[in-house]
Amino acid sequence: MSHAWRPVFVVLAVVAAIVVMRVILVPSDFTAKDGDYKYQWHRLSAEQVSKDFTVKHRGRDFCGQCHPNHIEKMKDSGHQNIQCENCHVMYEPAKKSHPINLKEDFGYLLNIGIDRSRELCKRCHAELSYRPKTYTSSKGTEKFKQIDPTKHNPGIECAMCHDVHSAGFKTAAK
Amino acid sequence: MSLSRRELLKMGLLAVCGTVIPLSALEILKPEAAASLIRPYSEHKRWAFVVDTTKCVGCGMCVKACKLENEIPFNIDVQRTWVERYVQLKNGDVLIDSPHGARNGYIKNDPQGKEINEAEVAKGIFVPKLCNQCEKPSCVQVCPVGATYKTSDGVVLVDKGWCIGCGYCINNCPYLARFFSPVTNTADKCTFCYHRITKGLNTACMDACAFGARKIGMLNDPNSEVAKIISTERVSVLKPEYGNEPQVFYIGLDAIVR
Ligand code: HEC
Ligand code: HEC
Ligand code: HEC
Ligand code: HEC
Repeated sequence: MSHAWRPVFVVLAVVAAIVVMRVILVPSDFTAKDGDYKYQWHRLSAEQVSKDFTVKHRGRDFCGQCHPNHIEKMKDSGHQNIQCENCHVMYEPAKKSHPINLKEDFGYLLNIGIDRSRELCKRCHAELSYRPKTYTSSKGTEKFKQIDPTKHNPGIECAMCHDVHSAGFKTAAK
Repeated sequence: MSLSRRELLKMGLLAVCGTVIPLSALEILKPEAAASLIRPYSEHKRWAFVVDTTKCVGCGMCVKACKLENEIPFNIDVQRTWVERYVQLKNGDVLIDSPHGARNGYIKNDPQGKEINEAEVAKGIFVPKLCNQCEKPSCVQVCPVGATYKTSDGVVLVDKGWCIGCGYCINNCPYLARFFSPVTNTADKCTFCYHRITKGLNTACMDACAFGARKIGMLNDPNSEVAKIISTERVSVLKPEYGNEPQVFYIGLDAIVR
């Protein structure tokens, strides 16, 4: 046989090696879903991983199981659309103060605590000329009241005077 | 062969008419196109998002909820969704900022860290941003290992167990929606909360928004609010010139928004 065939065998051997490696290395569930090699070429099992990620925010209904009076209080107030978790989830675990361990009993992973800082309320209520001045509630479009935090009782926590949940005022007795 | 003037004109006209009929004129003959004449909504499931910037007050509750829901380290400046602030001054300057992705909200008039007198402001707008889950995602095309992909219902996801962290996709997103996750050491991005929407819940950012600025729904479901808004109201998308066909539709955008 002519020596000219040798490079051909080398090439064939390399191709065979690549094919074998590919079969070993590429997971068997690698597929182009819907025949779309451009955008849907992936491991099918990865989709399930994304779906199985734990849900952490459970919304009002979850808190309402044990705090029905707070739900009731907020129902018709200006704060009706705000989730409890917006104000009560602490991103620093050290600030957690919920007396019941929601993680063990309910698998609830967020840290619940109380943030009485003015910064929390200012996120929505600080007056900015370009902050929308209306909002939509169950009653339709309403005025969204904003205050100038440098003039509106500076230095005192908002929750000292305001009842946060009913978006009104604390009664004198309290 | 002899050609009379009459024949030449006839054939010439025929040739011209033949070439000007565009191929797209025959498109109606495709079965899907014909079906859409009878049923305006296709069977193909497709998640889409609507952001109403006229309602956004810039409280950043969505950013906070997203970070905690998706286990993105809170105090590091990477985020799956963020809120940008565009402030145009009366002298024409446009100031754009998003301090820490607005995870702590906008509490004073300090674009780019400089306190500005309210009287100088001509207009301002808060623009929540997130992954546009493009129909033609340019990030997916560049992945060398097939670790990022589009699902059949239109959400672009990252396979974190397969990603090698090369960063091509991060560079290739025109919306800067991708980032390098310091936790998994892979690319990371908004998933439309795939773990929530596939269980029938809303995305964490949508639930956190007290002002109704964010909405998610099926594009092909005529009863979904998103489909209603997109088909009846004036919506626009960000950077259409890139040809990615983004699926996050905005109400109330302005020329200063990028
Ligand atoms: C298993 C029942 C239960 C659930 C579910 C629950 N709580 Fe509580 N929570 C309690 C009890 C009991 C207390 C202590 C009594 C009290 O102060 O009312 C408490 C106290 C609190 C306090 C006061 C903490 C403090 O430092 O004094 C806050 C704030 C709170 N809960 C918020 C929430 C939020 C927000 C949710 C929803 C994510 C929630 N709770 C879900 C039972 C529950
Ligand atoms: C606008 C932010 C905000 C929202 C929304 C909110 N809270 Fe609170 N919550 C507070 C603040 C601030 C306090 C501390 C009040 C104080 O010191 O008087 C508090 C206190 C509490 C307490 C302690 C007991 C009390 O009443 O002072 C409980 C329990 C509680 N919240 C539950 C809830 C539940 C349940 C929801 C959802 C239905 C909710 N909160 C929604 C801000 C909020
Ligand atoms: C997520 C945004 C948001 C946050 C955070 C928030 N609020 Fe509100 N608040 C609203 C909206 C929306 C209304 C209803 C519109 C209105 O009445 O101005 C409202 C209404 C109010 C009102 C009633 C105003 C009136 O005269 O009717 C008070 C008082 C108030 N909030 C105090 C607070 C305090 C105190 C805090 C901090 C614990 C706080 N809010 C945090 C959104 C927010
Ligand atoms: C010293 C008590 C006190 C403190 C502290 C306080 N407020 Fe008030 N707030 C009031 C009183 C009294 C009114 C009603 C009179 C008025 O409009 O000034 C009011 C009114 C409001 C209103 C309605 C304004 C309107 O246009 O009708 C909002 C919103 C509000 N407060 C938010 C806040 C926020 C947010 C904080 C914390 C940054 C805060 N308040 C701190 C006493 C207080």
